[in-house]
Amino acid sequence: MRLHSLESRVVTLFIGLLLTVQLAAYFAIGNAIDRNARNAVEDSLKINEKILLRLLDQNAQKLIQGAIVLAKEYAFREAIGTHDTETIVSTLSNHGNRIGSDLTMLVDLDRKITAFSNTSKNSRTGNGGGANNELSSSLQQSVATLIRTAEKTGSAASTAIVDGKPYQMVVVPIEAPVTISWVVMAIPIGKALVTDMHELSRMQISLLTSEKQGRWTANVSSLSDENASRLAQQLPSSEKQVNYLPALQIDDNQYSARILKLAQNEEFSTIAVLQLSISQAVAPYKELQRNILILTVFGAIVASIISAITARRITGPVRQLAETARSLGAGDYTATINVKQKDEIGDLARTFMTMRDGIAQREKEISRLAYWDTLTNLPNRALFTDMLEEAIASARSHEKSCYVLMMDLDRFKHVNDVMGHRFGDILLNQVAIRLSAELGPGGTKPARLGGDEFAILLPNSTKENAQDLANRILRSLEKPISIEDQTVDLGAGIGIAGFPEHASEAQGLLSRVEVAMYAAKLGNSGAIIYSPDIDKSSQQSLSLLSELRAALEQQAFRLYVQPKVGLDHGQVVAVEALVRWIHPERGFIFPDQFIPFAEQTGFIRQLTHWVMNEAARVCHVWKEQGIHLKISVNISTRDLLDQDLPGKFAQILHTNDVEPASFCLEITESAIMDDPVRAFQTLDRLHAMGLELSIDDFGTGYSSLAYLKRLPVHELKIDKSFVLKMEEDIDDTKIVKSTIDLGHNMGLRVVAEGVENLAVMNLLREMGCDQAQGYYISKPMPSADLPAWLDKWQEQQAQAQPATQSQAQQS
Amino acid sequence: MCNSLVKFSSPVMMTILMPVLIIAMLASGTAYAGAVVQVTDSSGQPVQDAVVYAELASGPQLAKTANAEIQQKDKKFMPFVTVVQTGTSVSFPNNDTVRHHAYSFSPAKPFELKLYSGKPAAPIIFDKAGTVVVGCNIHDQMVAYIHIVDTPYFAKTDAAGTARLPNMPAGKYVLKTWHPKQPTTASVQEQGLQMDNNNPGLTVKLNYKAI
Repeated sequence: MRLHSLESRVVTLFIGLLLTVQLAAYFAIGNAIDRNARNAVEDSLKINEKILLRLLDQNAQKLIQGAIVLAKEYAFREAIGTHDTETIVSTLSNHGNRIGSDLTMLVDLDRKITAFSNTSKNSRTGNGGGANNELSSSLQQSVATLIRTAEKTGSAASTAIVDGKPYQMVVVPIEAPVTISWVVMAIPIGKALVTDMHELSRMQISLLTSEKQGRWTANVSSLSDENASRLAQQLPSSEKQVNYLPALQIDDNQYSARILKLAQNEEFSTIAVLQLSISQAVAPYKELQRNILILTVFGAIVASIISAITARRITGPVRQLAETARSLGAGDYTATINVKQKDEIGDLARTFMTMRDGIAQREKEISRLAYWDTLTNLPNRALFTDMLEEAIASARSHEKSCYVLMMDLDRFKHVNDVMGHRFGDILLNQVAIRLSAELGPGGTKPARLGGDEFAILLPNSTKENAQDLANRILRSLEKPISIEDQTVDLGAGIGIAGFPEHASEAQGLLSRVEVAMYAAKLGNSGAIIYSPDIDKSSQQSLSLLSELRAALEQQAFRLYVQPKVGLDHGQVVAVEALVRWIHPERGFIFPDQFIPFAEQTGFIRQLTHWVMNEAARVCHVWKEQGIHLKISVNISTRDLLDQDLPGKFAQILHTNDVEPASFCLEITESAIMDDPVRAFQTLDRLHAMGLELSIDDFGTGYSSLAYLKRLPVHELKIDKSFVLKMEEDIDDTKIVKSTIDLGHNMGLRVVAEGVENLAVMNLLREMGCDQAQGYYISKPMPSADLPAWLDKWQEQQAQAQPATQSQAQQS
Repeated sequence: MCNSLVKFSSPVMMTILMPVLIIAMLASGTAYAGAVVQVTDSSGQPVQDAVVYAELASGPQLAKTANAEIQQKDKKFMPFVTVVQTGTSVSFPNNDTVRHHAYSFSPAKPFELKLYSGKPAAPIIFDKAGTVVVGCNIHDQMVAYIHIVDTPYFAKTDAAGTARLPNMPAGKYVLKTWHPKQPTTASVQEQGLQMDNNNPGLTVKLNYKAI
């Protein structure tokens, strides 16, 4: 039993309470007994003192009666009357013997002892003394004092000390018929009194005498001599008027004592000490107290047993509950509680069971939520990772291999955005169904890792199995999916990686397969098995993206401009805004190296925003310098799909206080063709804002002329691949000529890029091309350099073609 | 003459004193004067039963034969105090139905009249001056005093404490006063008395408490 357990506390409390009450009672009773005993002893002593006094009084009365008898004796009186001393003395002696008086005397009216008889056994000498001289003065004094009292009251009794011994002394008158003499009789206070008193009261009595206020000496005592002398030692000196001693210790016994003064004269005093043993008085109660103590011990034992049983009855089920709770904590929900009690404990147990069931239910639900994808009811990433770990462990132990396929749907985000999330969810479900169907019943299940990413675990499989499955999946996804009367074409990129070939543990394998999947998507190449090469490029890409972001923050991008020249007059009419990246380590980075990547990752949006903002700022600066040039900004597919783009541009124009008409947005054909509907929407809104639009790289895409017709564009830019070689390639010349004509026919301005020499420039002018752009005119330059270049260009133009210039001025 | 006569309160006294008076008057025939003595005790209270007697300064008078009686009635001696001149015989008639045993251990006249009823055979003659305390051996409470004086001039105070001495010849006397309550050890109280024809009343104050 642990010390702090409920059980031990209940038992301790029970016993503690019991013992406290019992011990308090025990001591209270003990105390009361002791006090009562002492009080009883004191009372008893008082009563016995009265008894002693009564005993003394009785003795005195007896003596008086005897003396009276003597005093009435006619012959005696006659002898007195006739002064017959001999007869008198013999009568005194005779009578003294008869009634047991030790000293018998005749005293005359002058209080002089005239006749004396000592009949005590000790002293036979004084028998028959008639003379006074042999009598002690103490006797004579005592007699005289007594007679003085008797003269008033007739007869008298008192105590006196004669020759150091206490006596009871009485006097009666001898009347004939008036008082003619006194008879005095005395008996010693001694053994007889002590014996009488001891027999009467069963109490210890001692007579003690002290001389001249000194120490007490025991004369007679019911105690042993030894104890009597101990008593004498403990008594206070006679001059102290003490009549009660509550505690005397004699011979291992405690006594209370009462002191009664019996007689005193100048020399001696005599006292009687009555003593009663407290120990004896308490003895019967001690028995009672011992019984109570035994009862207490017995009660404590019984209480311990009962309280232990009671406590166990309470704590047993509680402990069982605790045990169950512990196994519950460890995840064991099967433990049952065997409590049949109908009390609070039973109630607690039942509640506990309900709680256990609830927790088990919820844990099941939580683990379902944690490990299963709620949308498709497929295992999620967490469960898939666990499964993969198991598969790897199994493969490792069996020295086999296992493979993982990871698949990402093409254009899913697009579908989701256009058709709505509900549609996207249904689509994902359909894909899940298709994957499950392809894997077959009982086989391994696909898992949904998140978004449109699915994964399939192939334990104990080979690379061929995995590739085979990947191809089958790709084929199954080629069939369009019909959802709510809409048919959606899906494609997917699938990555393949396997243990132990590509990674030795689950996380590594997952990241490898992911890399392979992205590679597949980028390359639009169906299924790709992981190889370290693609991993390298993917690592680079990742770092590139973060570097791009950093560059934006650190303002590492620079705005460059390339002038466009009007071919009819040779004047600069516009510039194309181009972005350049000055890398802190790698230096100047060409757009070819990061723009495609920015388009893939979506970073192009931020970049476009930056370019537009910078262009607007520059435009404002030029405007202030009196330079009015139209600035072209390139817009990517992703920009076009951004519904907020027109709003953002409007904000930029407003902030920099520049006109929309100062800008031309260049869009590639393919950018429009990716999602023509939304592209049209965005372009329409931009056009409505007053921005000019231009089709960039015209001729490289597969643009429908119907679209072109519908687009609100103002300009066509012939791709530089045609322009660069048109000098030598007759076909290119034809294409350029046709394109110029097409543009003009549709009412569009036509700009040629990639003009690198005068011959081409002249050729283009001859063909009627409106504007030219290229190294022949100028390389792209920092925007800040343009004003200076412009001055130089104009100066050059003025020298080279004054005619043209004057023509232009005229028009 | 009439005024000089002693008026006795008790007829017994009268019987005792009358012959004495008559004899005295007849014998001398000279001028007499009776003294009236007022006795009080130490607290000034008049004292009854005090014996007042005048002795001639020259010496005791001769004893005369006279009789007196102390009867016993209702277990009492009556009178309580009797004063007689030396030589007087006193009889102790028993008028009770019970017997008495009169006795005295007084040195003046110890006597014993053993159990008797009626009149004892002979009266007791008190021939010596002094006080005799008479008791009864059967009845402790019975007590009587007989004061025997050596002079015929004596009297006993009445309830008012007044004693009237008989007429006596002028001359020098010693007036003595005794009372039963006089302490045993004390001697009889006395004072000088000059008797002449014109004697005023006398006052005696006892030096002890008598009541």
